[in-house]
Amino acid sequence: MPLAVQQLTRTYAGPAGSTFTAVDSLSFDLGGGEIVGLIGPNGAGKTTTLRSLAGILRPTSGHVIVDGHDVVADAIAAKRRLAFMPDEPHLFEYLTVEEHLRLVARLYQVDDFDRRARALIEELELAGKERSLPGELSRGMRQKVVIACGLVRDASILLFDEPLTGLDPVGIRRMRQTIVARGRAGACVLVSSHLLHLVEEICTRVIIMNHGKKIADGTVAELASRDDLAGAESNLEQIFLRVTGHPTTAEPG
Amino acid sequence: MFGASLYIIVCSSRNRIVRRLRRLREPRYLIGAVVGVAYLYFSIFARMRGAAVTRRGRVRTPPSLAAALATLPPAGVGGIGAGLLLIAALTWIFPTDSGLIDFSEAETDFLFPAPVTRRQLLTHRLIRSQLPLLFGAVVSSIFVPFAAMAERVRFAAGVFIVLSAIRVYFTGVTLARARLTSASATVRRMAWAPLAVIVVAVGVVGVPIWRAIMTAPPGDPGQMLTIAGGAVTTGPAAIVLWPFAALVRPLFAESGAQFFSRLGGAFAVLAVLVAWVLRSDEAFQEVAAEATVRTARTKAGGQAAPRVRATAWLLPLSGRTESVFFWKNGMQTLRAINVKTVIPFIPFVLFSVGAATLRMSATGARGPAAALCIVALMLAGFSTLLGPQTVRSDLRGDLRHIDLLKTWPVKAAALVRGEMLWPTSLLTLCAWFALACGTILSTAAFPNLTTVWRLSLCAAAFLLAPALIVAQFTIHNAAAILFPAWIPIGNQRPRGLDMMGQRLIMFAAVLLALVVMVGPGAIAGAIIWLAFHRLIDAAALVPAATVCLGIVCVEVMLVTEALGPAYDRIDLSDVELGE
Repeated sequence: MPLAVQQLTRTYAGPAGSTFTAVDSLSFDLGGGEIVGLIGPNGAGKTTTLRSLAGILRPTSGHVIVDGHDVVADAIAAKRRLAFMPDEPHLFEYLTVEEHLRLVARLYQVDDFDRRARALIEELELAGKERSLPGELSRGMRQKVVIACGLVRDASILLFDEPLTGLDPVGIRRMRQTIVARGRAGACVLVSSHLLHLVEEICTRVIIMNHGKKIADGTVAELASRDDLAGAESNLEQIFLRVTGHPTTAEPG
Repeated sequence: MFGASLYIIVCSSRNRIVRRLRRLREPRYLIGAVVGVAYLYFSIFARMRGAAVTRRGRVRTPPSLAAALATLPPAGVGGIGAGLLLIAALTWIFPTDSGLIDFSEAETDFLFPAPVTRRQLLTHRLIRSQLPLLFGAVVSSIFVPFAAMAERVRFAAGVFIVLSAIRVYFTGVTLARARLTSASATVRRMAWAPLAVIVVAVGVVGVPIWRAIMTAPPGDPGQMLTIAGGAVTTGPAAIVLWPFAALVRPLFAESGAQFFSRLGGAFAVLAVLVAWVLRSDEAFQEVAAEATVRTARTKAGGQAAPRVRATAWLLPLSGRTESVFFWKNGMQTLRAINVKTVIPFIPFVLFSVGAATLRMSATGARGPAAALCIVALMLAGFSTLLGPQTVRSDLRGDLRHIDLLKTWPVKAAALVRGEMLWPTSLLTLCAWFALACGTILSTAAFPNLTTVWRLSLCAAAFLLAPALIVAQFTIHNAAAILFPAWIPIGNQRPRGLDMMGQRLIMFAAVLLALVVMVGPGAIAGAIIWLAFHRLIDAAALVPAATVCLGIVCVEVMLVTEALGPAYDRIDLSDVELGE
């Protein structure tokens, strides 16, 4: 499996010596060509999971294996295969769009950079902004730059955290197409999003988290056929509400 | 709106205090607070108490502040008033950011759309800006030597009024300047009026002072103040200066009754200034919006927003990891600073050095050359010893990007070395340039040194400067990795007594670590010097410095390699976020 998450646990120090478990013994695998949606309520542990997979946060326990390389023990080899696109576009405020792509190309030893960069700039509608600094771009544009930096290399695993935040309708449509195209090209894609219709539309499988734990894993059809979810209509929103313990119909008043 | 302003101020202050007290449960803040309190006690309060107690332990009556102020020239108030007038006039030429209309992003989002007038918004900022001014006034009163408590309180109140007036005036100038070119003739007239008043006032006050100075040229600044003050104590100048003198007069009160009697005049001036600012609120929205954007950018980036400038410095697509960070940090400097504004200074400096050298050769006059030499050596010393403390375009500056850096497939040790490479090179170049200027002019400043000594010292300094700079950067970056929570992110200046204590601890630790790091090189260098100076005299300094540099470089390599695993273990939750 390109990505194997084994008993991943991540805790944070809380006030007065207490600890808070953001991700609790999470395990799952991702195969090539799979597009998996990671959903859950606020504070479920999705972002912590993605940041642990990307090597930003060190797991408190458990392992993340990327193409056979442990993200902690063999970090460089693992990170070379990963591309993480965070929800907040953090860019170097003094590097232009083109320089960001070049920097990533150098760090990840990308061949044929010029052709790839040109194609991506066109694909993500960044043409004309190559020499702009992040401060001169809108939030949506900055988000596109982050995504371009993730896609400029041939990563086998793509991690998207709320990839559509700040994008306009055309950008959203393009991004959907981009994610699907990467999945079809053989990359394994993990998408964290609150947009359930997006997840339902593009993902081949869904993982639902709550309180740091995995509470559901499978295709929408598989989840809808679960005994405990019997009665839920076979759409992801109903399944999500049911599995996270929320009423599935709006209550009056 | 007044109630809402007070609510924001009270709640923000209370929550800030509660947060700072609550964080004392963490040892690093508690230790910082203890050190901060100890520093304040020993540097200020103990000195105040010590001043009031004789060496034999007997309490003595503190000499009066009024008595101390009485030693000022009799026309001191007039002179200070004239100084304030000068500042008031210069503010129109060199506008000063008072910070009064720098609304926070939250204030902009909550208050601007709220159903309140611009005048109410200004009043809100006026009220909100008083607490820091009051704090500044109280701190300044602590530093007043030999004063009784009542006098300190009077002094603090007087300083507070002056600071408030200055801040309000600066804001008024900012708003008026924005309306100088208004499309409306009425608005334009209203904006130009205070400028015209100031110009006339400068003329009325300046002419008698100029005449007095021409009649009896002063020998020192004290005499200057006396002459200037004396020239404006009567006539139209005294009338023009009345508002300025009225502002500072409470500071010179000799008793409580006199202080209160003088407060009326000071408050009247302050009230007029506040009224002026509140009446010029048409330009407020635009100026405030600009200020808010500026503040937000400064907070986000830790410094002024960079601009795209063609550098023709392209990152090669292959090479060592270190060079990536060298390029990245180099771009930061080149984009933050306009090199074109710096470059003209280089020929100017070279011309000054050349002219001073030629003059010395032609006329034998050493003065200017000696002064330039000392300045150059001080600059070299500053670049070498204090530069690494202030130039933070290394891992300290990149802690705010640590989540991005940690996704990169690079060796941690190479990353740390790469982060230090640019600032080390930059400061080394600065130090070398200053040293070269100092060496050229050293004949004037150090005429007793032989040429061999001068050149040997220069060569040794050229070698030791990068050693000291890179050693300090290594220590600062090691601290950022090992104790990320103690390092302010970017250009942040975290506030609070505990943070001040943390900074003091870090400063002491860095000094100690520097001694430890440079120690082996210094010892080896000293051995080389002792072994060879009888044979080759001053030239032995060069191999001694070379050995020292070599040892420091080896240490840097070892330390950065050792820091690699620690970098991998950095927990983002340890990186301190600003309040």
